[in-house]
Amino acid sequence: MADVVRFASMGTRVELHRFGAGEDDALTAAQRAIEAVDNALTIHRPSATTALNERLMAGQGAGIDDPLLFDALVAIEELQAATLGLFDPAADRRFASAGWSAIAFDRNSARIEASMPVALDFGGFGKGFALDRACAVLRAKGVVSACLSAGESSIAVVGEHPLGGGWPFSIPHPLRPDEILVELELIDESVSISSTVGAGTAAPERAAMIRPIDATIVSAPRCSVAVDRLGAHAEAMSTALLVADEAQAECLLHGDRTRRFLFDFPRGAAIPINQPG
Amino acid sequence: MTEKDFDLSRRSFIDRVLMATAGAGMAAAVPWASAAVGAAPLAKSDRVRLGVIGTGDRGRALIQNIAKTRNCTVAAICDNFELHLAKGRALVDPSTRTFTDHRAMLDAGGLDAVVIATPLDLHKRHSFDAFDAGLHVWCEKAMARTIDDCGAMVKRTQDSGTVLQIGHQRMFKPTYLNAVKRAKEGEIGAITQIRASWHRQSSWRRPVPAGATDRQINWRLYRDSSAGLMTELATHQIQVSNLFFDAVPTRVMGSGSICFWKDGREVYDHVALIYEYAGGRKLIYTSLLNNARYGCEEQIQGSKGTIEPELGRIYQELPPKELALLRMQADVASGHKRAVPIGGATWFAELPVTTPGEPLGWGEYDETMLQFEGFGEAVRTGKPLPGLLSQAYSASVASLLGEQAMDSGQILNWPTSLVAI
Repeated sequence: MADVVRFASMGTRVELHRFGAGEDDALTAAQRAIEAVDNALTIHRPSATTALNERLMAGQGAGIDDPLLFDALVAIEELQAATLGLFDPAADRRFASAGWSAIAFDRNSARIEASMPVALDFGGFGKGFALDRACAVLRAKGVVSACLSAGESSIAVVGEHPLGGGWPFSIPHPLRPDEILVELELIDESVSISSTVGAGTAAPERAAMIRPIDATIVSAPRCSVAVDRLGAHAEAMSTALLVADEAQAECLLHGDRTRRFLFDFPRGAAIPINQPG
Repeated sequence: MTEKDFDLSRRSFIDRVLMATAGAGMAAAVPWASAAVGAAPLAKSDRVRLGVIGTGDRGRALIQNIAKTRNCTVAAICDNFELHLAKGRALVDPSTRTFTDHRAMLDAGGLDAVVIATPLDLHKRHSFDAFDAGLHVWCEKAMARTIDDCGAMVKRTQDSGTVLQIGHQRMFKPTYLNAVKRAKEGEIGAITQIRASWHRQSSWRRPVPAGATDRQINWRLYRDSSAGLMTELATHQIQVSNLFFDAVPTRVMGSGSICFWKDGREVYDHVALIYEYAGGRKLIYTSLLNNARYGCEEQIQGSKGTIEPELGRIYQELPPKELALLRMQADVASGHKRAVPIGGATWFAELPVTTPGEPLGWGEYDETMLQFEGFGEAVRTGKPLPGLLSQAYSASVASLLGEQAMDSGQILNWPTSLVAI
């Protein structure tokens, strides 16, 4: 048995493909889980996050009542540290000093304070976080084989491929679609792809990648790929790789060269010079 | 701007019009443009003598554009409202004759043609009086308040052997001409839909100065004298639609309402219409007065691309993406396992594509000057600019038919009793 649901959420198209076992309502429940994350983390309509941002921008602290937002903040605090501070949902190109370092999050009291006006934009992290929630729902509903996509640059898989073994994916060159940057096989993992070049970078409302150190926009032609057990972690790592300088990138890649990749393309020539390690 | 600068600018403008009208099929598509560009410059003493009826805002803008031409001159002005007449007088040579009654201006002689910039309901009477005086007529759009009156103006100019030209400046604008050229060359494929809008954040109500009446100043808000948004704005864009579709509509449906400005006006402040063309093609038109986010634009939508002439840009359709996950489903069903290509493009389904497109051409605003040079040439030779009156007549009829469709709540077919041009 194979079934699929397709819907728009988080500003993109989401597809959930389930193969084989699982409860009848598994996909519907997974869709609800993704929509719940979108409702909590979006900054494009009123949400728990926009309410929080209003207080933070006004220089006020806030209690975190929304459990999804709380869990997201917990994850972000960990990922921020794990990515050398390069994944930073509080980075703001208007203010070089804005960033997660201005935030004090006390998970015991579920309270957040900021030393200067800041606003959170969860961006791609939200997609990975939502896919993690959906995967958890699918597993709880007895699903053993599924592929979840949020805008193609964020993929998560549950279990093995329905024909056995890993789920095979190829990452095309963003400027030369006939060429493949890297091929991957995933089992119970997520992959996130970030890029400063390619058709997707012209998508509507797409925010530029900000380098947290100096709040500049990353404009160099570059593409990063990160695989992790959790989609939220994969998203944070691909974002961090994209904004990293050479030393930082080496440090991050050193963690797992079979699951993290960074491709720099010369301006104009668009030829990858850093092959996967 | 010095005279030399203006000559250079004018030369550049004319060159662009010539370039835009040089393509295959363009002579047939926009025959008036190249004819206007070819207008012979005339010595000041030989220029076409124009009497301007109506020196309100629009009339004064026309006077300023006429002054830029090399074959026309304003020989007289007329307005029955002293404040407007005084403002018009300030723009012309002190020796220019002024009148408060258009009949007196016509009777005084010394004119070759009149320029009519009066409220819509007066266009027919003023043009008839000019025709009867043996004069040619340049008249602001729309042509007249009713479809019958539009036809009567066409019939009268035909019977009198005079020139009647209606003000549709987009027909002389290089950006539009270049857009037509590129559409004719097939760059955006088969055009099946045009979305056009003219959205403003304005009541459209003008302050009434001492000595004037509300109906005199705000004639656009009252049904006796105007069809409101349809005749003042939509007529321009319907004309653009007809030009790109190379046809007139087959029928129209629509809804109009006084939705926001409930200030005693009689004309709609919000209109939404669908004009159907042969083959199922459509113009989808909206105009309103309480939201300017989308402004004035025509979106010419073809199978291969889109043209937005007001923005001066042309966009190519993105090639369809391979539905990788759909292929994966089929692969699994057939027992075939292969890599699924992912990444690169974030996949925004059903959302607008905001690729930047390419510049379409040029956006200088001298087209009103050029249409008067074309008119001057038409008066001098006694030959109307080819194709132009037909375009204007169809646009005016379409705008008024749209008003009727909204008023009646009916789908109305294109009239079969129009005057042949």
